[in-house]
Amino acid sequence: MKESYSLVFNIKRYDPETRKSWFQEYRIEAGRILRFTDVLRKINKELDPTLSWNSSCEHAQCGSCSVVINGRPMLACELLVENAVEYFGTTTFRIEPITVAPALRDLVVDLEKAYDRVHRIRPFVINPSRNPNQGQEYRISPRVMERYLEATRCINCFCCATACISSHKGFIGPNAVIASLVRIMDPREDATEERLKLLYSNEGVYRCHTSMACSNVCPKNIDVAHFIGMVKDGDF
Amino acid sequence: MIIRSSENGIDKSVTKSLEMVPPLARYTRNLGVPFVISWAHRLSGVLLVIFMGFHIFTLSFLATPGAYADKMKIYRLPVLAFLEWALAIPVIFHALNGGRLILYESFRCRRDDVLLKWVTGLTILYAGILAVLVLMGNQNVSPAFFWFIAVSAALTTAYGLYARIRHTHHIWSWKLQRITGAFLLVMIPAHFLFMHLSPQVAKDVSQVTLRMQSMWIKLVDVALVASALYHGGYGLNSILNDYAASKELRAVGMAAIMAAMVVAAWVGIKLIVLI
Repeated sequence: MKESYSLVFNIKRYDPETRKSWFQEYRIEAGRILRFTDVLRKINKELDPTLSWNSSCEHAQCGSCSVVINGRPMLACELLVENAVEYFGTTTFRIEPITVAPALRDLVVDLEKAYDRVHRIRPFVINPSRNPNQGQEYRISPRVMERYLEATRCINCFCCATACISSHKGFIGPNAVIASLVRIMDPREDATEERLKLLYSNEGVYRCHTSMACSNVCPKNIDVAHFIGMVKDGDF
Repeated sequence: MIIRSSENGIDKSVTKSLEMVPPLARYTRNLGVPFVISWAHRLSGVLLVIFMGFHIFTLSFLATPGAYADKMKIYRLPVLAFLEWALAIPVIFHALNGGRLILYESFRCRRDDVLLKWVTGLTILYAGILAVLVLMGNQNVSPAFFWFIAVSAALTTAYGLYARIRHTHHIWSWKLQRITGAFLLVMIPAHFLFMHLSPQVAKDVSQVTLRMQSMWIKLVDVALVASALYHGGYGLNSILNDYAASKELRAVGMAAIMAAMVVAAWVGIKLIVLI
């Protein structure tokens, strides 16, 4: 196993002042267990301090470092160099911003606009249901929780929305659908009818064509297509 | 980090076959086999809508039998006979894959790897059977009996789905798209099978006219045209809603699709009723 790799990063740049975009090539030596965020930081330090990219927690929990690598949406903070070389079978990587919102600069996209879709489904308890155990915490049985626990792992990285066959022009997005579904299946809320109005609208599940790319690319290994399938099955 | 491989859950042979086609390899690997299958479903659907328009246009010549007979002569060319057979591949693929989607979405069948194997296997089997029929020539099947069996099977399939989705919150247009899909899942492959079983009944102008005098056949053909046009129109509108950015463009596009489908339905149904 090699200790380091000579990498070629072809990164999509965007200058908001001139509104021009182009691909810029960076050649860099990187250790095998560096993450892609580390490599981007190395590029900033050694080659080009003007390259902009986004990250926050760098532990695959915030979803802010999502980029498209060789056509696959991924979290840059989670991808080790050696894993990328093995998976893609190359040391050349084409890196682009995710496509769910306009780019602000280089790999940084307008996450506020991306989050507008999630906010539309109101991802919080709208109408609390009556707690059967008054005066105590609301207890959810493991059997009920088991049905939607996997969906609660979603970090809104928008990888699923970027991969979706349906584009982003008329669809609230797979992550927004499952965020709404989590609330529907959560017994602490009683607002199913209100939520179903959006889910069964032209911007909802009718834009999903079960291409399952969402499940395939999800960094948290959520079977997104299964949860959207539950909505289509009309079980609520 | 575990990078979910496109081979996970999907039969490796299907994955490997798709990866042998260079333009598909990237998508198969990065977004999965079902993503590529979804595009194939979409493209085959568009192809079938275009063919349906052409088919209705060609059949409209039945009003003047001489002109129809002239048009049909062209199908005796081996190249066109081959293309006619080849068209059965997108037809059966679209039908079976539609069945797969119905099973996944409305019958909670989550073994998609198994379903994909069935879609692949049955597509090959159906295309093979049609090829044998093309080579064997006329089988002299009874139209009334053939369509009785086919319509019974199609109605059973459509009712099975209707019973499953009728109490859901889905909008009626989506339900109807699925129900027509289930109906056509049997009827369109049956239509192709019938044409290859009895080429003369399908192409000889006097035999076509004679067959279409039957009220039963008229009814079958009207149901086929109406459901195929609705299903195709809904599919085109769905593509428009996926990719058109503005509401105005969607509205204009939807109006254009509806107008085209109404005209095609008018031409097709008028022909069936008046012949």
